[in-house]
Amino acid sequence: MAILRFLLRRLVLVVPLLLAVVFFTFMLVRIGGQDPVARIAGPTATQGEIETIRSELGLDKPLFAQFAIYLGLVARGDLGRSWISNRPVLSDIVERVPVTLELMLWGVGIGALVGIPVGLFAASRPNRMFDQLSRGISLLGFSIPTYWLGLVMLFVFFYLLDWAPPGMGRVSLMLTPPPRVTGSYLIDGLIAADWEVVHSAAAQLVLPVLCVAIISAAPIIKQTRAIALEVSASDYVRYARAAGLPRRQVQQMVLRNSRTPVITYVGTELTGLVGSTSLIEYVFAWGGLGQYGLNAIIAGDFVAIQGYVLFLAMFSVIVFVVVDLAVMILEPRAALQG
Amino acid sequence: MSLLEVEDLHTHFIARGLDNRIRTARALNGVSFALEAGRTLGLVGETGAGKSLTALSIMGLLRAPARIVAGAIRFEGRDLVGASEDELNALRGGSIALIVQSPRTSLDPLTRVGDQLIAVHRAHRQVDAAAARERAIAMLASVGIPDPARRMNAWPHELSGGMAQRILIAMALINEPRLLIADEPTTGLDVTVQAQVLDLLRRLVREKGIGAIVITHDLGVVAHYCDDVAVMYAGSIVESGSVRAVFGDPRHPYTRNLIASTPEKLQVDRGRRPAVPPPNLYALPDGCHYRDRCPDAAELCAQAPPWIAVGDPGHCARCHFASRQGTAA
Repeated sequence: MAILRFLLRRLVLVVPLLLAVVFFTFMLVRIGGQDPVARIAGPTATQGEIETIRSELGLDKPLFAQFAIYLGLVARGDLGRSWISNRPVLSDIVERVPVTLELMLWGVGIGALVGIPVGLFAASRPNRMFDQLSRGISLLGFSIPTYWLGLVMLFVFFYLLDWAPPGMGRVSLMLTPPPRVTGSYLIDGLIAADWEVVHSAAAQLVLPVLCVAIISAAPIIKQTRAIALEVSASDYVRYARAAGLPRRQVQQMVLRNSRTPVITYVGTELTGLVGSTSLIEYVFAWGGLGQYGLNAIIAGDFVAIQGYVLFLAMFSVIVFVVVDLAVMILEPRAALQG
Repeated sequence: MSLLEVEDLHTHFIARGLDNRIRTARALNGVSFALEAGRTLGLVGETGAGKSLTALSIMGLLRAPARIVAGAIRFEGRDLVGASEDELNALRGGSIALIVQSPRTSLDPLTRVGDQLIAVHRAHRQVDAAAARERAIAMLASVGIPDPARRMNAWPHELSGGMAQRILIAMALINEPRLLIADEPTTGLDVTVQAQVLDLLRRLVREKGIGAIVITHDLGVVAHYCDDVAVMYAGSIVESGSVRAVFGDPRHPYTRNLIASTPEKLQVDRGRRPAVPPPNLYALPDGCHYRDRCPDAAELCAQAPPWIAVGDPGHCARCHFASRQGTAA
């Protein structure tokens, strides 16, 4: 019951939030100063042709009238058509969501699986060698530019060592992708029992997932360590020590009280990375949402940009609702406040 | 043999500064006192005088960069300064219990209070879960919590400050400690609740013959609830004795100032005493540490003052002029 009420309240809040996102994205791309029409029409187009295209796209109408039309479309579940490919933006996005999710979930999943224990262990022995080492590694992970990491990975593991396949998409070009069920070639390959595809898809995943894991593990280590240290210094942990509870019980107390802030942090990390992994997708020709968004921005394809940003916002909302639900289950205080 | 004997205890904070030079804050400079079973000692003094640090040193709860550099802490004749972490952990919450000033934040927010009581009991006693539960309920009843069996299921955030402090008292006493240290036990509580909690504490301490140390800023608390008092300044005890002797005839100028600055006296005295910053523990003056702030400082005070017994048996003060009858109070 409490969970239903919570979801309803969240839903009510989400509507104005998404409206604001739609509005600001719409306005921001248009006050950017570039004229997309000239670019779409090409260098040889006459002034007349440019004006024709402009009125076809509705760009000759006043800004707020354009927005009203767009909002009307969005309200009906239509994100418009790309100015470049003339394909519907919604179906382009829906098609790419699992592609990016596959990369993100594996990457952040592995990043968290490694980063959380490392952070916790470092915090349990602060300033000792392991702690210093983990802080150094984490700093390194922070400092490495994403795209550069991808390029170095390809250079080392494909070009020099030949351990990994080239960064040319999600499955070897020699193979036919499996029939689409989930959109993840790995899972779809398993469903179709096409082992060659499964093998190739897994091999293609390794390097980009490793990149995402590395760039997500760095801040996860840092945050987990900080959270666990803060909990260790809390009144209740100090009191537990003063009450002579065995060391293991005190450690469990630290772990349990670190759980919700760490989960919340990983959620934030996940939403942040969906945008910033565009470059990794680009380097590995992953063809996911990030690459789609990047291409839309480079091409000045306003409709596609708007759809992309709206999706990012919705993704964040979904992640935070999931995080909040997890916190509700884990925290007696949150559960009571509903 | 006293229940607790603290002898010439020195606890320092030793850390490297930003300039990479080692800096030492001499937080405790030779604290000595003894506590008999069944008596309650009030430890008073301004913030930073070393009251809580004395408690943490006794319980072996110091964390880097704080460290005991010299002295002895004998609990029932056993020196705790060299004791291993396991030995100390067995004493903490068992024979030596602590009550702190922030009861609400001192309970684990993710564990029901009953389970916390049971955990503390079972950490020190070989009892099964049912017996521990029964014991916990009995303890809750003894600290005056209504409907204790139901309260076992309460979460810490559901408790008022006074209720949380009662639970902490129950937790401290569940293993029948012989020494109880209460560090500002009522600071965060409403005035009416303060009196209730202190009355309860006094009753339980008397009933069970526990030796207790009450750390407080509040001289009123000491006057009402303690047998003896020790006044701390800059990491050492400057005066101690029975409450009646020390408050009735204070011999150290710091004690006199402390008594003079209690709220009911402030009215009269306001404006007379200039505000002086607390002593710099990194560079304490030679001789009497109170010299810089003392209204009666003289040449002689450049030498370390002796510990002088005065009047009432057990009443001592660390001042060259302690045998002189006080005037400032």
